[in-house]
Amino acid sequence: MHSRRAGLIYIVPAFALLGLVLFSPVFYGFWFSLFRIQYGAPTDFIGIGNFMRLLDDPALGGTVRRSAVFAAAAVVLTVAISLALAVWIHKLGERRGFIVQMIVIVPWIISTVVATLLFRWVFVNDIGLALSLARWAGLGEIRILNDPTLAMGLLIAVSVWKRIGYAVIILLAGLKSIPDDYEEAARIDGATGWQVFRRITLPLLKTPLLLVTIVLTLSNLNTVETPLVLTGGGPGDATRILPMDVFDRAFVTYDLGSATALALVMFFGNILLVLAYVRLARWKA
Amino acid sequence: MTTGATTTRMPRNERPLVRRRQWLPGAMGVAIALAFAALAVLNLLPLIWGVLTSLKAETDLFRFPPVIFDFTPTLANYERVIASGFLGNMKMSLFYSAVTVAATLALALPAAYAFDRFDFPLRGPLFLLVVASIPLSLGAAALLIPNYLYFTRLGLTNAWFTLPLIYTAHQLPMAIWIMKGTIEGIPRELDEAAIADGASRFDVLRFVILPLSRPAMGAAGVLTFVGSWNEFVAGSVMVDSPGLRPVQPAIYNFIGFFGREWGPLTASATLAIVPILIAFALLGRLIVSGLTKGSVKG
Amino acid sequence: MLRRSLLSMALAGAVAGLAGLPQAHAQDTTVRMWTFLNPAGQSPRDLALAQIIANYEQANPGTKVVVEPQAWDQMTPKFLAAHNSGAAPDVIWVVTDFLGDAIKSGSLADLSQYFIKDWTPEQVADRAGPYWDLTADGDKQYSLFTSRNYISIMYRKDLLAEAGIDPASITTWDGFVEAAKKLTVKDASGQVTRYGFAHGFSENQADPPLMIPYALGKGAELFQEDGKANFTTPEAVEGLTFQTDLIKKHGVMAESAVTWTVDDVYEQFASDRAAMIMGASVRVSTLQGQLGKDKVGLMLWPGSGDKPHSPAVMAGWAVGVWSKSPIAEKAADFVEYMLGPQGDPLWVQVGGQSPGLASTLASMGDFVKQPGNEFLSVVSEGSVNYGWLAPIDYSIGGYRQILNKAAQRVVVNGQDPKAALEEAAAEFNRSHNR
Repeated sequence: MHSRRAGLIYIVPAFALLGLVLFSPVFYGFWFSLFRIQYGAPTDFIGIGNFMRLLDDPALGGTVRRSAVFAAAAVVLTVAISLALAVWIHKLGERRGFIVQMIVIVPWIISTVVATLLFRWVFVNDIGLALSLARWAGLGEIRILNDPTLAMGLLIAVSVWKRIGYAVIILLAGLKSIPDDYEEAARIDGATGWQVFRRITLPLLKTPLLLVTIVLTLSNLNTVETPLVLTGGGPGDATRILPMDVFDRAFVTYDLGSATALALVMFFGNILLVLAYVRLARWKA
Repeated sequence: MTTGATTTRMPRNERPLVRRRQWLPGAMGVAIALAFAALAVLNLLPLIWGVLTSLKAETDLFRFPPVIFDFTPTLANYERVIASGFLGNMKMSLFYSAVTVAATLALALPAAYAFDRFDFPLRGPLFLLVVASIPLSLGAAALLIPNYLYFTRLGLTNAWFTLPLIYTAHQLPMAIWIMKGTIEGIPRELDEAAIADGASRFDVLRFVILPLSRPAMGAAGVLTFVGSWNEFVAGSVMVDSPGLRPVQPAIYNFIGFFGREWGPLTASATLAIVPILIAFALLGRLIVSGLTKGSVKG
Repeated sequence: MLRRSLLSMALAGAVAGLAGLPQAHAQDTTVRMWTFLNPAGQSPRDLALAQIIANYEQANPGTKVVVEPQAWDQMTPKFLAAHNSGAAPDVIWVVTDFLGDAIKSGSLADLSQYFIKDWTPEQVADRAGPYWDLTADGDKQYSLFTSRNYISIMYRKDLLAEAGIDPASITTWDGFVEAAKKLTVKDASGQVTRYGFAHGFSENQADPPLMIPYALGKGAELFQEDGKANFTTPEAVEGLTFQTDLIKKHGVMAESAVTWTVDDVYEQFASDRAAMIMGASVRVSTLQGQLGKDKVGLMLWPGSGDKPHSPAVMAGWAVGVWSKSPIAEKAADFVEYMLGPQGDPLWVQVGGQSPGLASTLASMGDFVKQPGNEFLSVVSEGSVNYGWLAPIDYSIGGYRQILNKAAQRVVVNGQDPKAALEEAAAEFNRSHNR
């Protein structure tokens, strides 16, 4: 019986820290959001007034829908590409695997703003390398960011590009942990490579895949730097996603009340999303 | 890097030659190799362009059409970056990241051990709470101003421990999850044998689990290092003293109110990649080579 | 092995960290200042600030000025939060967008009680102008301005001379279009290699768009008395039409301008891809460094007929003293020094900024006449006669972004300018709860 309590001792330090740094500020933020915020300070208690203001914004629905499409596309593509890459790296020798891995992680290890700025300069800007080359090749002017659909496509592509490295690392670690004998046994039974992958590898990768999917979804839904630097939300509102809305409310119009309210609603949505993922994956702790 | 030559010759890695063909049929292998070639261009070109830019003088930056090699390289940008105290920022970030990695691993391992090996009250819900706190760490920037008020009122801002404290909490949920995956893969028979020999539950953690979890600690360590090294928002808001300033705000200072200064910006960003590459050389190798038994096991 | 390397990394970091911790001298008074400049940095403004601080510390033994560099776009919101939590610095630089909030929150001290009360009328007159009036309230004065910015037309002197265009002759909007057409160059295949004008419409890093000087020059106001948007006046609609027609009708501006940030536009200019751009006086010296000191000039906006020039949007950084600072007197003393007759010439000569005092400009006649420095007198003429500062009686944050987005919709979606501005006004009023 003593071991039931004993287990708690091992998690108390971790939870104390999470409580201090992650959980309490959310409660503080919630309390903060119940007041009218003037010049950065809470003044009158207005209950859910700040949350009601969110409903007044006719553009918010579109932003939510756009964010969902953006995140879904970015996550699916990142996971698919990273999984293929991780499987490939796993099969390479150690030295080649290490080199490939280092190339893959480059965009992830450079600071987001610098990486996005460089990508935009080299591949998107008309004074950059790629478009100068295209012009020289007679392709004329290419204006990706002027087109609402292409701009969203580019935002998705850059978000995928930036995060593949992270996903590959986690998936690779997962692949490396699958004992070789499982696959060998299956092959002796006559399974094809694809069948081994489908029936053996994929199910054993469930936990890392779930972790990667959760982290990618949330980081795409919460990162302001990439869209801000790449498109600024334009043209029009074509690439405006939720984190930009929070950022603008907080730092452009300086409406901290509704910014905090929106951030909290997003937190709540994010947590529901995580629980839904865990549920859907029928994953048990 | 030099130790790699010896470790590559592990018998385990000579087998895949045969297996690869069966695993990835020709067409698929070629498709993946082609996709990788495209990715390599997309990944390396901006990096190379960034490094070249860091070597350019002001007058060569925007020559049109863009010049790749036809310019006189200069180290002036690096000199300027270093003169502005950048190495001090790097030292500070190294300190923050190292403390964060150590603290994260030290807190995550016992927690992961308890979640896997003990049956305590509310175990399931508490683990879900860990998983659900991933959004809180990834979205913390959205609550920046209330968070700033909260931390200043507690007197936790602008101190040497401010950023390690915040970063450790941010990285902890993910690290616990990764390590729990590994511990699941360590046979319980080993625990039982140790306990039969008179070991306490803590001894099991110390002498059985810890040594076998090193590969997972490598993976979690690298992720934690990169996460805290590249963090910007808390680093720019939660500390004020110039001596406490981490590396990312110092880089972003070159995208200032008076415009982006590509020369020093790319020079500082280039310098900032070096510690990450070293961290990968130290810890990342474990991911491609060392994880023979369960790191993130399903 | 892993554990050992981690440990040694942590130790190395710890030693490095401790060595880097700031050491306070108990006997000194330390004045903390937040700005986006870094006195350890090497840009002209960084160097100017470092020198001013060094001079001040030498003249005032026992006082140390410590700069805590901040990210410029978060600095003012953070200051207001710090004002509430008690952690604000003694001296603060406030961006004009949030200046009204900063004054109304009571976070800025009245500077007259510290030093302006002792000034002679001449000293006050030395600073007269719209910047002084902006933060003056009766006898009170809440800030002194620095990094004054005048946003009008930056142009390539060599290219205009080549095309036979005298910048002084551009006094009407039609004349401006004519000049831009002349400056637009095409290659043999009909592809434009250099545009006559450039101006970015991105919401990221938005400068006040051209339609603002256009509408102001025709006598319209951009905001109503109560702070509501006044974007749908005939003058504003005409202005947005003119601004977008530069792309759609006249072809003197690239279509990609819709996606350009302010920095993108300067890079186009530096790449020889535009002969004139909407540009800020604070950027002239940087562009001169990239293109050559004699090649970059600044001119005033064209006028609307009755006046030769339309007002340009001005901005800058207001420097104030935190009202709850325990050493407000010392802090105020430093502010007076930094932006007074001792500091101002250094901002100009070392920092490449335009002067804050009329006397500085007068005393630096030779410097202003040096080739490339003429823009300084353009700026001082403009700020006195043709300048507009956004109101601070009510918050107007986001107006530039919203107007830029309207321009994007006109060019990309073909929306009618009037409808685009109606939408913009509604968005502005809603976001400010008006």
